[in-house]
Amino acid sequence: MCWAVPAKVISIESDLIATVDLGGNTIKKVAVGVDNVRLGDFVMVHAGVIISKLSKEEVIENIKFIAEQIREVSEITGEDPEKTVKEYTDSMYKLLGQLDEKNG
Amino acid sequence: MDLPKEIEILFRENSELAKKLSEEISKLTPKVIEKTGLERIKIMNFCGTHEWTTTHYGIRSLMPEEVELIAGPGCPVCVTPSSDIKNMIKLAMDGYVVYTFGDAYKLPTVSHYKEGIGSLASAKASGADVRIVYSFVDAIEDAKTHGKPSVFFGLGFETTAPSYAVLFKKEVIPKNLMFYSSLKLTAPAAIYAIKIHKMSKRSPVSGVIGPGHVSTIVGSKGWDFFPEEFGIPAVVSGFEPVDILTAVLTILKDLYTGKAKLTDLEYKRVVTRDGNIYAQDAVREIFRTTDTIWRGIGNIPNSGLDLRDPFKEFNAKLQLNIKENPWDYDLPPGCKCNEVTLGTAYPTDCPLFMKACTPSRPWGPCMVSLEGSCAVWARFGSSQRVLNLMKEVRE
Ligand code: SF4
Repeated sequence: MCWAVPAKVISIESDLIATVDLGGNTIKKVAVGVDNVRLGDFVMVHAGVIISKLSKEEVIENIKFIAEQIREVSEITGEDPEKTVKEYTDSMYKLLGQLDEKNG
Repeated sequence: MDLPKEIEILFRENSELAKKLSEEISKLTPKVIEKTGLERIKIMNFCGTHEWTTTHYGIRSLMPEEVELIAGPGCPVCVTPSSDIKNMIKLAMDGYVVYTFGDAYKLPTVSHYKEGIGSLASAKASGADVRIVYSFVDAIEDAKTHGKPSVFFGLGFETTAPSYAVLFKKEVIPKNLMFYSSLKLTAPAAIYAIKIHKMSKRSPVSGVIGPGHVSTIVGSKGWDFFPEEFGIPAVVSGFEPVDILTAVLTILKDLYTGKAKLTDLEYKRVVTRDGNIYAQDAVREIFRTTDTIWRGIGNIPNSGLDLRDPFKEFNAKLQLNIKENPWDYDLPPGCKCNEVTLGTAYPTDCPLFMKACTPSRPWGPCMVSLEGSCAVWARFGSSQRVLNLMKEVRE
């Protein structure tokens, strides 16, 4: 029951209930547990309630957090922080670029 | 391609990054050990899904020998007391329609309600009306259609509480549907587990991976007490392998620098520092904090939630005069779920694991839910079993 899954909001019945597509042809009615849900939003759904929204900007923030950890660890282990971070960010943004291209 | 798929590619399928992170973990570990004097670095998670990721992807096998990843209390189904299950069985046998999440359907009681009836599943088999639902919304819709007296078995942690609270807040619950709260709060149990490790002869917990989805509600700041009061670094992490590896690396770095004052937030794509204020307000309005019983562990003060007085007409315990007796040890003979839940034993330490207790015939509660540690290890624990064998060979 604790499994939270990403889903797309496909209709909004009221400020209380929305219908989401959990993927794999699973459509569910769920409670709206966040402010301001819009049609087409990607959200996290847990035990029948929307608990948070997902956004591309925050994915970038996530990538940056990992970069910061890699930088700080390189400083401790005596590697070149600029080089290790660049290798990491290059590979992440390359992946993202490929994904964006596929998205058209 | 949509955002969830992109996230999978970046954080789940990104083996290059996973390799890089595990190499960094291996390089940093000896430095941390040298600097801190710790013999072992024990990192505890508080979420069944983190345990799932750790075990499913064999992350333990990527750790240096000195880094131990253990599961703490993170599965609400596993800690639902036997008395609550028995109360729900009684209601079902008395003719109430009982709604439950699928995870709790097979949860065994410690002693049978009646010969042969030791779970909601067996109550249903003997004719009771027990209905598995995906959500509280589904139970409300269904209860409206038949109008019969009904009770919802309200399990869960902070993540599930809003699913009830937002609906109570808007007064959409039909009068024939009552709510039986078995809701629990993660933080008091997490503190309890940390103290047990600190007090016992075992090595203390050196770092924690904060539960990602509970944190969507409470925010990463909900775990600041770990660094502030216990001097233990905490990282709220996501549920992909890259997230967990980053969390471990961050904890090691924090141990090395000794500078962490607040909880680190890795799972930025889903969690914020302050959490979901809308849900927090709803939960605060509808529920009050209570003492509650954790299965196999006993009462933990202020670790539960129950409906506030204005909603007492929906409170099954009050309306149906259900007595809450003092806790009595409530694990079946031989089951070590309490130790597994507190991270003082691995599922494989239980002599019944995969013998008398299997996912298809669970003997204890940690084998029931998909996120129970025993159920996770039963399905995917081979990497840990190999690791244990390797240790034995080394010794
Ligand atoms: S294997 Fe079964 S009996 Fe043993 S601790 Fe786990 S749930 Fe309990």
